[in-house]
Amino acid sequence: MADQAHRRAPDNQTEENPSANNHAYEELRHLIIAPEQEELADIQERLDDRARRTRDVSSVVAEAISMRRDQHGERALAQALAPTVQETLRESVRHDPHPLADALFPVMGPAIRKSISEALRGMLESFNEALEHSLSARGIKWRIEALRTGKPFAEIVLMHSLLFRVEQVFLIHRHTGLVLSHVVARQVATQDASLVAGMLSAIQQFVRDSFDSKNEESLDSLNVGELEVWIEEGPDAVLAAVIRGHAPSDYRLTMKEALEEIQQRYSSALENFKGDAAPFLSAEEPLIRLLAARHREPAAKKRPSAALATLAILGVLLVAYFGYSMYLRYEWSRFLHAVRGQPGIVVISYGREGGRYHIQGFKDPLAPDPNTLLKQAGLDPQNAQFDLAPYYSLDDSMVAQRARQLLHPPEGVTLSENHGELHVEGTASPQWISRVQERAPYIAGVASVDTSHLQNSHLLQLNAPKSAVESVILVFPIGRAELEAGQENTFAQIQKGIREIVYRASRLGEQTTVELTGHSDSTGIEGTNMLLSQERADNIRGALVRGGAPAANLHTRGVGATQPLRPEDTEESRRLNRSVTFRITFTPPSSGN
Amino acid sequence: MLQKKICMLGSFSVGKTSLVRRFVESLFSEAYQTSIGVKVDKKVVHVNNEDVTLVLWDIHGEDVYQKIHMSYLRGMSGYLLVIDGTRRQTLEDALALNQRVMQEVGKVPAILVLNKSDLVDRWEIDSDRESELSAAGWIILRTSAKTGASVEQLFSQLAAATLTE
Repeated sequence: MADQAHRRAPDNQTEENPSANNHAYEELRHLIIAPEQEELADIQERLDDRARRTRDVSSVVAEAISMRRDQHGERALAQALAPTVQETLRESVRHDPHPLADALFPVMGPAIRKSISEALRGMLESFNEALEHSLSARGIKWRIEALRTGKPFAEIVLMHSLLFRVEQVFLIHRHTGLVLSHVVARQVATQDASLVAGMLSAIQQFVRDSFDSKNEESLDSLNVGELEVWIEEGPDAVLAAVIRGHAPSDYRLTMKEALEEIQQRYSSALENFKGDAAPFLSAEEPLIRLLAARHREPAAKKRPSAALATLAILGVLLVAYFGYSMYLRYEWSRFLHAVRGQPGIVVISYGREGGRYHIQGFKDPLAPDPNTLLKQAGLDPQNAQFDLAPYYSLDDSMVAQRARQLLHPPEGVTLSENHGELHVEGTASPQWISRVQERAPYIAGVASVDTSHLQNSHLLQLNAPKSAVESVILVFPIGRAELEAGQENTFAQIQKGIREIVYRASRLGEQTTVELTGHSDSTGIEGTNMLLSQERADNIRGALVRGGAPAANLHTRGVGATQPLRPEDTEESRRLNRSVTFRITFTPPSSGN
Repeated sequence: MLQKKICMLGSFSVGKTSLVRRFVESLFSEAYQTSIGVKVDKKVVHVNNEDVTLVLWDIHGEDVYQKIHMSYLRGMSGYLLVIDGTRRQTLEDALALNQRVMQEVGKVPAILVLNKSDLVDRWEIDSDRESELSAAGWIILRTSAKTGASVEQLFSQLAAATLTE
């Protein structure tokens, strides 16, 4: 400023100094500085004249903006313009919404469609997942977990569904389909990345060509069994993530962000890509972040438990197998023990061969079938083979059984065997009795037959007259061998009874023995009493024989006072002891007795 | 390592796939070609002291039923235009296809491959025609998928051409 003031000072001095050649000076001055003055005036006018200035700027404004953008100042430009653009849009809509609506119309439709279809797909996916999970074994496990933790089922499903693993991430140059970078999770087998990337691009282009070529929309996921390939496309680069399991939808956002970052950072490298992937070495870092996003529990962790479970199952099976085979062995030894104790079966040897038991020995035809015994013991007859030769067992029970089989004893007769002697007891017909006596000695194992307790059933009809006779007591006066008076009728009945019994018995083939026993009371001398009692019995026998009874069948004996009928405490008892009593027995004529 | 996208083009049954089958690393079945019209293979060649991975897009032969997806050509560094030397028509078709390719992707290195050189007695392309094509700027190679003749050379030569671009 000060400098300018100094420079102006001499000019003023010159003007204050009037001279003759003032006019000439003016002219000279005009000649020298007029063009510049005019230029200055023109510039001044351009600066002052608003209309002109506007015209000037308008001719360069587009170039200026594009130059600014080329200098990578688009952000500042956008910031500067944003309020105006916003205000312009607002004003335009306020004034007349139609032009903007018309302009946006082609954009709005697809955008809305896309957003709605995304939302619907998400809903469907979660619905499908919920459906799938609620029906599977895993779903039931999760239901239990929800009950146990008190959390809503949906939350549990979400928690588990979020587990996933990103196995591979490809960064692909969109224009050429060449792979720029490829990262792989540990323990994942991969194919040649350049081939996979190429084919993925080809499929991508195929889908775009075939279905929706206009809007550059393309495939954003592929499902391959348990794997999903998520694809995110940018203007120059494509990200493809190979995912095992169910990735949540916000993983898509993570991919988008990573792709945006890569697009931004490598924009010129992407644009100038000629096949050299070296500039993209550092792009591995965001890819690795994508890989590490969220890991599903490594499968390896589960393997030991699976192996343990297998081992445990094997263990249980082994224990069960040994337990069962030991149980079978125990059952077998019990069975063998029982067989050995079985009359009619003799086990000589046994052993196991090819999973079957072989038992060798002898068996009485009447002994029980060993297979039936096996079934009773709960063992499978398929597992046993018996080689048993037939023989006759001399075991008492087997002999008795054999006798029963051969003799067919009638009801009421029991057969028992004791060391070779067959005891036959009960009542049977005389025919059967004679058959037993004839045949029993021929039965294997029977040495002798005891039929002393076997009664002829036909004799049963003689029981009534027999007991009538046996109940009679004929009494005598003291010291006498003649009947007391008044017993004539009784005697006559006896006589008649005995005669009838002997007759009927002889018709049944039985021999009758009537034993008359003479008694005396205890008074007097013992010897005399013996004689007296004998005399009493003989007298009655004589009378009976005289009356027609067969003498051979009548036997007498005198027992004196040795077998009193009553204790002699009263006169009446003493009287009854001076008596003769009767005992009748039948014997088969061939028994020899 | 340097990678280059290479397309293999040509009419139906000129032997593109057979030509490379023995020389490339394959992962995908040939069913892809019939379903989506392309199958991607790989070939590593050594040129100018460096390994170059050629990612080969073996594109389904064009016929009346199937036009090639021109978008498959996007981003390629070079291409092989394969014809069947025993069928003159395949050459004319290939040259017509070449016009469309040039329109779509511009000029990139290319080799005109005269395949089935083992059947030279049935050859339908005379040497005049061949020199005419050479004069038009075509690099021409005779190959045989049957004998494998010149196939390695084919890839090396194309790789070298893409590197000088």
